[in-house]
Amino acid sequence: MNIENTASQMRKGVLEFCILSVIKLGEAYPSDIIDKMKQANLNILEGTLYPLLTRLKNAELLTYRWVESNSGPPRKYFLLTEKGAAFYKELETTWEELANAVETLTGKNGSDINTTSTTNKLNADEKSN
Amino acid sequence: MKKVININFQGRVVPIEETAFELLKQYTDSLRVYFANEDGRDEIINDIESRIGELFQERITKGSTCITDDDVNAIINNMGRPKDFADADSDQPQDSHTTQNAQASNEYGQGFNTNKRLYRDANNKFIGGVCSGIAAYFNIEPIIVRLVFIFSGVGFLAYILLWAFVPSSDNVQNGVRKRLYRNPDEKMIAGVCSGIASYFNINVWIPRILFLIPFITFLFRWGHFGPLYFPNFLSFSFSPGALIIYIILWLVIPEAHSTAEKLEMKGEKVDLNSIKNSVVEEMRDVQQRMSKMGKEARDIAQQKSKTMSAEMGYAVKKTGRSFGDIIVFLVKAFGYFIIGCVLLFLIGALLFVAVVSIGFFPLKGYILNDGWQSAYAWGTLLFFIGVPVVGIITFIIRRIAKVKSNNNLMRYTFLALWVLGIFCFVSLIYSVGSDFKSTNTINEQNISLSNPAVKKLEVSTFGSNRFYSRNNFFHMEPFANFFDEDSVHIDNVQIRMIKSLNDSFSVILVKMCNGRNRRFADTLADKMVFNISQVDSVLYVDRGITITRQDKFRNQKVIVTIAVPVGKIINVNKRFRDMRWEHFNGPWNDDNWDWNSDWDRDEVKGWDRHYGEDLIMKADGLYTLDGHRADTDWNNDNNKDWDDDTNQPKSDTTQGYRYEETQKSIDSLKTIQEKQIQKMKDSLKKAKDQIDKKLENLEEKNAAKAAVYQWPGNQTDFIVNI
Repeated sequence: MNIENTASQMRKGVLEFCILSVIKLGEAYPSDIIDKMKQANLNILEGTLYPLLTRLKNAELLTYRWVESNSGPPRKYFLLTEKGAAFYKELETTWEELANAVETLTGKNGSDINTTSTTNKLNADEKSN
Repeated sequence: MKKVININFQGRVVPIEETAFELLKQYTDSLRVYFANEDGRDEIINDIESRIGELFQERITKGSTCITDDDVNAIINNMGRPKDFADADSDQPQDSHTTQNAQASNEYGQGFNTNKRLYRDANNKFIGGVCSGIAAYFNIEPIIVRLVFIFSGVGFLAYILLWAFVPSSDNVQNGVRKRLYRNPDEKMIAGVCSGIASYFNINVWIPRILFLIPFITFLFRWGHFGPLYFPNFLSFSFSPGALIIYIILWLVIPEAHSTAEKLEMKGEKVDLNSIKNSVVEEMRDVQQRMSKMGKEARDIAQQKSKTMSAEMGYAVKKTGRSFGDIIVFLVKAFGYFIIGCVLLFLIGALLFVAVVSIGFFPLKGYILNDGWQSAYAWGTLLFFIGVPVVGIITFIIRRIAKVKSNNNLMRYTFLALWVLGIFCFVSLIYSVGSDFKSTNTINEQNISLSNPAVKKLEVSTFGSNRFYSRNNFFHMEPFANFFDEDSVHIDNVQIRMIKSLNDSFSVILVKMCNGRNRRFADTLADKMVFNISQVDSVLYVDRGITITRQDKFRNQKVIVTIAVPVGKIINVNKRFRDMRWEHFNGPWNDDNWDWNSDWDRDEVKGWDRHYGEDLIMKADGLYTLDGHRADTDWNNDNNKDWDDDTNQPKSDTTQGYRYEETQKSIDSLKTIQEKQIQKMKDSLKKAKDQIDKKLENLEEKNAAKAAVYQWPGNQTDFIVNI
């Protein structure tokens, strides 16, 4: 068990949810999605975004249309399908429940957080040593 | 200073430094490998590429003259390398190296998709970690499992097998587990071999060939060929062992359906920034194209067999191991088997022809004319035989190395060369055949003997009469063993025997040969040298006919006819028994020898069992010295008039001339005769007895008379008186 692993697992879990929520706001071009996520301080590699989009598209949660661009060939703009919207709804409720649960758990016992963070620091120190 | 090239990248013309282009290519290739098992692979890569193209465009509109290494590296860092994706994107649990962990995650019920699985425990291993893995799986102490393995008889073998087949937890730590699956993407029959290949990370042809070895070995048991051996041939070829193992593996190993399973099957740690992988990918690409091509055919076959089995009343469900699949399997297996056999047989036959023709080649000078014929022969060897051999070998090597070139030019060149080869072959056959077309005029040549009246004539050859047989493993001499730099000897010598009409031996020599036309054949026959000479009682005859490079081989043969007078002895040396008859029958030969019918009349046939024995000519044929007949059909129709001349009773000779029959008939005649003699003796004895009796009676009567006459006197007196 290492911390990066767990962290990336956690990030990965919410990634699809995040992408869907960006697209839900309106048709989106992948680099726009990246930008928006960067603004929200959620860094993601473009190379991971494309496969995810394709998978979601293959699962019929997303669809896309070609939009002419003034520089070069047409671009793919992604939008949510009905199925995708329903899927998003479900994810949203799950997320809210989860967020609530985490909040109450973490908020309830602040000292625990401190101890874990200190042990993490210690671990990091050991590693650097 | 760097070279700049223009590339068409996703619909944009991009000027790019050559080194930068290499980087870019490497990157896209690595993506291709990474997403190889992804469903929407091409789409993903397309999207990424078009995004990269867009970024390129941006840089150029900003004023860059071309894309540099730095640009490409920046973009790649932005997009992320496959290694980075693996960290962020892996479906696999990153850390499940002990089954306890997996179990724990199962208890929580979510987050990890692992079931409890058997792994070799690399952390607590003693040898291969098999025992500790099993112990972890069953949640028992490893020492117990170890003891069980040590004290059970099959422990060692089982350990080795488990070692080989159970994945190590090391692999798992690397991110992807490795499991044995059947590979549906590369399947030939059921994907067993390709699955094994993926598991051991070897070429798919290695397990295939291992499975085929029992099939192949039968091909080298040539005895199985031939119509009579068909059942035998079947039982051996379908070597049940390999087949059964295959079927068992088929049933036991699951098929890799999902992407995750396919990843598990390969178990690759994806580290893709090397050129090596790009090469591998290229090959894989080609392979996929080929499998696509094959898929259509396969689908049709599957459809057919499915409907067939459906018609037979079996509900075929798509369970993957249904009855229909078994039929598909059997049909496919049989089809591949037949194709394989035919191919291997063709290769074998071609190689055989190649070897034989190469063996013949040193002798080409004795058969073929220089010039065109020679050229045809070379053409035949190189193109008709050589090209397919080379072609098939390259095909096999390609297939094994999975390299395929779509080089049509080469294919057509091969085809053209082979057609040329066929032309050469046909021309060669035609031209050689026409050289053998005509026969020469038959000329009987009387050989004068120095001492024709000798009592016994021995026919022998010049030189040693011992016969040495060479028992080579591979014996391939088209002509007889005599072979030196510029001449060849052939054995075409035939010894015939006839009954001489007078009381001296005589020898007639006939030379025969073929040629383009009669004139050619006649001159060639004149050139033939064949020595016959008599020294005392030995007739020396050449062992063979010499053929030089100038006077080619044209079916030269020599018939030596020896006329043996009645009452004289002939002995033909054993060496003539081992004569071989070298003969070429061209396709347009008209074998029109002018047989002299006189010869046949008195010919002694069938004496060939008696080489090296003294044979005596009698009025009715050849006999061995102990009185058995040495010929067979002496008494055929040709000799009827002769029979009359010798006043031989016909019934006798027609009674059968084989030793046993003659003996039998003689025996039966003897017994009959003996019986008759006995009868006669008996009757004579009887007659004698009767006469004796009568005589006695008469004597008694006389005595009585005498007694009456001389009763009173002395008997002695009476006698004296008489």
